[in-house]
Amino acid sequence: MKKKLSVMLALTLVFTILAGCGSKSSNTGTSADGVTTIEFWAAPNPTQQAYWQRIAKEYETVNPKVKINVSAIKESPTSEASIQAAIAGGSAPTMTENISRGFAAQLANSKALVPLDTIDGFNDIVTKRNMTKTIEPWEFADGHQYVLPIYSNAMLFGWRTDILKEAGVNEVPRTYSEVLDATKKLKAKYPDKYLWAKPDLADPTSWKRWFDFFMLYNAASDGNKFIEGSNFVGDEKAGVDVLTFVDNLRKEKGLLSQNVTEPFENGVGVFTDVGPWTFSTWAEKYPELQYKKNFEVTLPPVPDGMDPANAKTFADAKGIVIYASASPEQQAAAIEFIKWVYSDDKNDVAFFQETNLPPARDDVGTNEVFKPVFEKTPVLQEYAKAIPNAVPSMDNPKFNELQTFIGQEAFNKIVRGEIDPKTGWDNMKKAIEGELQ
Amino acid sequence: MEKNNNRLGWLFASPYLIFSTVFFLGPLIWSLYLSFTNWDLISPTYDFVGFKNFIKALGTPGVRSAFWVTYKFMIVFVPIVTAMSLFVAVIVKGLPKFKSVFLIGFFLPYLSSGVVASLIVKGFLSHTSPVQTFLRDRLGLDIDWLGGSFSALFVVAMIMAWKFTGYYALILTSGLESIDQEVYEAAAIDGVKDSQRFWKITLPLVYPAIYTTLILSFGATFGIFTEVYQLTGGGPNYATNTWQMEIYSQAFKNLQAGYASAIAIMAAVATFVSIYVIRKILEMWGKRNGWV
Repeated sequence: MKKKLSVMLALTLVFTILAGCGSKSSNTGTSADGVTTIEFWAAPNPTQQAYWQRIAKEYETVNPKVKINVSAIKESPTSEASIQAAIAGGSAPTMTENISRGFAAQLANSKALVPLDTIDGFNDIVTKRNMTKTIEPWEFADGHQYVLPIYSNAMLFGWRTDILKEAGVNEVPRTYSEVLDATKKLKAKYPDKYLWAKPDLADPTSWKRWFDFFMLYNAASDGNKFIEGSNFVGDEKAGVDVLTFVDNLRKEKGLLSQNVTEPFENGVGVFTDVGPWTFSTWAEKYPELQYKKNFEVTLPPVPDGMDPANAKTFADAKGIVIYASASPEQQAAAIEFIKWVYSDDKNDVAFFQETNLPPARDDVGTNEVFKPVFEKTPVLQEYAKAIPNAVPSMDNPKFNELQTFIGQEAFNKIVRGEIDPKTGWDNMKKAIEGELQ
Repeated sequence: MEKNNNRLGWLFASPYLIFSTVFFLGPLIWSLYLSFTNWDLISPTYDFVGFKNFIKALGTPGVRSAFWVTYKFMIVFVPIVTAMSLFVAVIVKGLPKFKSVFLIGFFLPYLSSGVVASLIVKGFLSHTSPVQTFLRDRLGLDIDWLGGSFSALFVVAMIMAWKFTGYYALILTSGLESIDQEVYEAAAIDGVKDSQRFWKITLPLVYPAIYTTLILSFGATFGIFTEVYQLTGGGPNYATNTWQMEIYSQAFKNLQAGYASAIAIMAAVATFVSIYVIRKILEMWGKRNGWV
């Protein structure tokens, strides 16, 4: 009897511990008094977090049956990894923003997301917000929409015109030959300065290719998709042209890939990718950087013979998703919240004003309601104008591996001078095609 | 009586046994199972794929580099950390007083955060840092420390050596302290010169402590992650891609938990086999010299 008791006690202890480790909450998110609580993870960007906190509070006043807890996505080690860990650990939020098309494809592939177009009222949001065209390329291979894009940054390149002028370059270079010529003049005047100083150039982390390789490649290939479904459709001529351009910059000693603090802002480099989120930081930290006075932004440079005025670029676009693990009550409350936010233009105007991120709408460049934003920060007009030229990222669930290959097999090695452009392209293509099989 | 003792023994051992079952054995079996699946960490469903993950892993540059990089780290890290910790131990042992204060000082890096240390080093080696500016302007040396294959490996190995020196010095100091002073006095009477004292007396007598630190330092190279993650991300061109880095990348960047589990199993096998071989070599070396 004693032995049985001991065994039962031991088993109870083990199962209690295991149950404690693995228990999942059966909470529907709705309390006894009918209040549904939504967990909303905002982008780890103070301006976006502040915006969503304010909007959530406003919504709670008009709809007291919903409580929205807004917090920033933890960036340790990356926001994507935090979301994955939360899903794996059974503690995913109801909804998050800051989701790219590639990451959404990964999540959708794992059945972690709600297909938004299956929820009543989703089409109303698209129509009401005037984003029918903008959302079209966001459709996934299975015909569903998993992400509601909220902003679209047509990435541009910034130029330190003040330093270029000192080096005798009076016009911002727009073609490869012009850029190389400017590099030669810059190095002749300032041997310690570089055209493009950025440690990320030699870092294989997948997302870093959005802000170097893809910006140049989209321009050189006139917006070629690179990966379509499960096929590599890269434009070889454009790809080799881009890599040759980077290789030529390296040969002219125009690239610096060492760790260096804010090289463009500090004048170590005169050319860099710039997103609209940068300008609020500059206004606080580098007030001396003034648009048209000492810096300009342009579409990416293009190979000689192409029209630089209409160059394509990368669209750094992110949106909101709702998680499949949320209860039906939470999912319904989440979509009602989104519907409410985007039913009024003033919320998009406020978002644009507070974050500098152009709302993902068809009319951002033409709608009069956005005029005050452009008047306050004129440089944003360049971003709004470039939206039609911006190509979104691939929707392949293996985007992480595929983009890592671009860096590891081609771009990073070219930057370091370890490989020639054609070999780099061929090795990258082989690795990507192997992964896609 | 014997039966009661057995029961008491099991009772006292039970917390450890339960802890090991829940946190070691359970995850190990789970990981072994996962290594034969294509689970992506978050999907509710997954398939059994047999040995596909292991076969794939053998052919990838990431896993091949993880295998070799560990041994490259050993070649750089182990001699440096052994020499440094031995040096510290000998110096501290010779101090007239405050030995423990100095030892605590050397031990502090072991307790410090690898993340913080890595970030400090990163700033230290930045292109515009005072050190780099001095090297460039005064000595004409423009070194991309984290961009070169060997220099990146060397930087990480040096941070590791800085971190572990105090810990190993503690072990070696206790080994040195255990040597009876009379042994040195007897040797002096027998005509052993001062220059021979270390090689003929100290080293043989402190060998068990050196053996321990060597095994620990060889083992440490299989677990390098934080410094590599913070400083190089496994680059340049896989030059610092360790087992832990590869497992992390596959599991949490590429969402291939099943595949990452297969790599983790391979890493465990490589670790156990390597440590076993190294132990045997060290034992043979000790026996050949009559130290053990």
